[in-house]
Amino acid sequence: MINLIHNEMIKIVRKKRLLIIAAIIAVLVALFTYAQLKRVQSIQERLGTTDWRSQLQQQIIDTQNRLNSSGISEEWRKFLQIRLRQQQYYLDHNINPSAPGAPTFMRMFVENSIDLFIPLMVMVISADLVSSEASGGTIKLLLTRPVKRWRILLSKYLAMILAVSFILLSLGVISYLISGIVFGFGGWTLPLLTGFSVQGEELDTSNVHLIPQWKYLLMEFGLAWFVSIVVGTLTFMLSVLMRSTAAVMGIMLAALISGAILSSMVSSWESAKYLFMVNLRLTDYVSGMAPPIDGMTLGFSMTVLTVWGLAALIISFLVFTRRDVY
Amino acid sequence: MTNENTTLVVKDLRKKIGKKEIIKGLSFELKKGEVFGFLGPNGAGKTTTIRMLVGLIKPTSGQILLCGYDLHKEFSKSIRQIGCIVENPELYPYLSGWENLEHFARMVPDIPKQRISEVVELVGLQNRIHDRVSTYSLGMRQRLGIAQALLGKPKILILDEPTNGLDPVGIREMREFIRYLAEKEGLTVLVSSHLLSEIQLMCDRVAIMSKGKIIRIDTVEHLLSEQERVVWKVDPIEKARALLEKETVIAGEKDGTLITHYDAEKLPLWNEKLVKAGIKVSEIRTKLPTLEDLFIELTGGETID
Amino acid sequence: MKVNSVKLISALSVLASGVWLVGLWFTIKDQFFYEAARPVKEISLEDVAEEQKDGFQIVALGDSLTRGTGDESGKGYVGYVLDELKTKTKQTIYVKNLAIKGQKSAGLVSQLQQVEVQRQIKQADVILMTIGGNDLFQGGETLSHFSLERINQAKAKYLRNLHTIFKTIRNLNQDAVVFYVSLYNPFNDLADAKKTSAIVREWNFDSAEVAANYPKIIVVPTFDLFELNVKDYLYSDHFHPNKEGYKLIGERVASLITFAEGEKNHDE
Repeated sequence: MINLIHNEMIKIVRKKRLLIIAAIIAVLVALFTYAQLKRVQSIQERLGTTDWRSQLQQQIIDTQNRLNSSGISEEWRKFLQIRLRQQQYYLDHNINPSAPGAPTFMRMFVENSIDLFIPLMVMVISADLVSSEASGGTIKLLLTRPVKRWRILLSKYLAMILAVSFILLSLGVISYLISGIVFGFGGWTLPLLTGFSVQGEELDTSNVHLIPQWKYLLMEFGLAWFVSIVVGTLTFMLSVLMRSTAAVMGIMLAALISGAILSSMVSSWESAKYLFMVNLRLTDYVSGMAPPIDGMTLGFSMTVLTVWGLAALIISFLVFTRRDVY
Repeated sequence: MTNENTTLVVKDLRKKIGKKEIIKGLSFELKKGEVFGFLGPNGAGKTTTIRMLVGLIKPTSGQILLCGYDLHKEFSKSIRQIGCIVENPELYPYLSGWENLEHFARMVPDIPKQRISEVVELVGLQNRIHDRVSTYSLGMRQRLGIAQALLGKPKILILDEPTNGLDPVGIREMREFIRYLAEKEGLTVLVSSHLLSEIQLMCDRVAIMSKGKIIRIDTVEHLLSEQERVVWKVDPIEKARALLEKETVIAGEKDGTLITHYDAEKLPLWNEKLVKAGIKVSEIRTKLPTLEDLFIELTGGETID
Repeated sequence: MKVNSVKLISALSVLASGVWLVGLWFTIKDQFFYEAARPVKEISLEDVAEEQKDGFQIVALGDSLTRGTGDESGKGYVGYVLDELKTKTKQTIYVKNLAIKGQKSAGLVSQLQQVEVQRQIKQADVILMTIGGNDLFQGGETLSHFSLERINQAKAKYLRNLHTIFKTIRNLNQDAVVFYVSLYNPFNDLADAKKTSAIVREWNFDSAEVAANYPKIIVVPTFDLFELNVKDYLYSDHFHPNKEGYKLIGERVASLITFAEGEKNHDE
């Protein structure tokens, strides 16, 4: 099995996809670091203070004003309300949710990329794992070895998991290094709040507790990893089912983007919560953001994702081991 | 019922796709050291058959034994006996030739590094083996494909269109190489080709497929001699035809000549009769048919390719 | 070399997988099996270390008027006050605008309970505020219906809140001058202008009475500013001032603020 996985890793590495992904991450991180820097500077300029409490207070006031404006959508109002309560909670407990530093940047980067950017990168790797063998014809050589088909597919799947881990690792390392140059490398032990739960428009803080930022980050990366594997598994299934890598990417892209759009407008379509793509923002549960549909919880989303992932995995193996190769 | 020399046995192999049976019960046996040709027009079921032999397609019914191991009950053991190139030798273009071979070697237990060098030398790719495959010519890819097929020391080699896309020199080299493998290494080689002249020159035995069935299996020599013809250049041709019709079968008429079946004993007799009847016989020659002629005759006019 | 890079990446990937798995495990442990052990402590004002403040601090409190609703440049009277003050002093002036659109006096009372708001008030040199507009007009509703009884009810509540507001501010900061910008009558070009003006005048009078109980609270009248040509100074909603209207208020407030030599503000 190790040999087989080694083979798959060689193929992934030699296709240079990982390198491209690392480059994309580097460019994006540099971009966001710059944007974040500008934002911090403009806030400081406007408020004339570097004191985070004043800044957070001002954000709260801004949010309250936006809430009182007419013509904001119900979803947005709810989102603002929850965020407002949370900001107030942070302020009341004297904890800075966005203390500058590379770890904080990493955390924000992961939170913002978990539902689209990271899945996209994962897709780049997993979309052609099987389909490229089919379209390149090498599948015929692969399947005429004295190795059972399920083992070949399993080796590919495990290689995909490794690649996913590597992508997240490079995401972490690259974002830490680049943003660290600007914001400083410290802040690992900064306390952060978690355990918020959202009920309708209310923010339940009874379980709120402090954890150090390094642990918070580890948790968020763990969740991002979980999401990535599920997205990877779905892409993997499509890759088994289809010869054309482009078609695989197209379908996944459509699903992911529709998920991003749906998340902001499905609050009244309740059964949409069983779709995998509206369940991708797992980190929101840790940070206490309102879910797109009432009643969604971390456990629920993880279960939905697990079910989708398992189903995709089963379909992949059934199809791959039984299919006639022409 | 199979002796030690039988390497590949196919029994009543069938494949249905939907309701349509595309392979309708094939049975044949291959022996050690023989080159076996697989012949048939597109859609005859050649490729499907070969893919069933290497486990890419599951037969609906029937049995395939490779060196005594059942392909479906003992997949790993039986598939080890086979080396193959199905259609084009498609390898990973972004890896070097050597890495491709390493890749496939890792998938088979106990293949030492030394074996890779051996097969590289055997196909004569030493100079370019560390270059990326995407820089290879078709001939080099074909050779790398064969190196890959030979890697696991198979007893049976299955080559789908091995001379496809090669230049004449390459075709001859390939032919010689295949003969070498069969004669000196004792491999069973199963070749499919649409170049009939190739099959004719390369194979010991031939199976002719049409519409999912094997319509004939025989040695090349036998098939050819059976179909030997006589070409008569005679004048007047109508008179000669009327006369010969009574003696033998007229197979055709072409460019002012008559073609009849051949019978070594009766040929002088027929000639005598013609001469006596006052017909001018300016040329009599025997003609070995090409497989193409043969094929057209056997399948009743189906064309190849 | 090439093979080594594959091995390196594979090894890192295996390691990373382990780390992420631990992360996932932490998440599950933390999010699903957390038992509320010790609640997180809320801070009080004493916990927040007094920061070395620099420059001249203005804190603005209240409703949409202080926010600047209706001024397309977004400045509001606070912005114009700032503009004016910049010409008067070389000190850096910082403005913290905590006003919330639609806020009523009760809202301000509870806003003043927030630790951070209290901290900022504590540091302030000058406090600007508008409040009561929403208590009285409720978006223009009360005056058109004209139930004197309802207005008196609202006023009683409002005055109690105003007491609390001033008291809270004074407890937090004895030195800062509070400029309480009082109401104008946006409806004084309408048919029953006489009646509505009377109501607003009375409201302002009562508010000033409350303010008089506390030191350094300056009631800045605006009623007169909008008495003539009210239309020219109102925004299209016929309720909030427009840019010109805010400028008038801003100039008036700014003229009241003076600076002591290099020091803090000077009081009346």
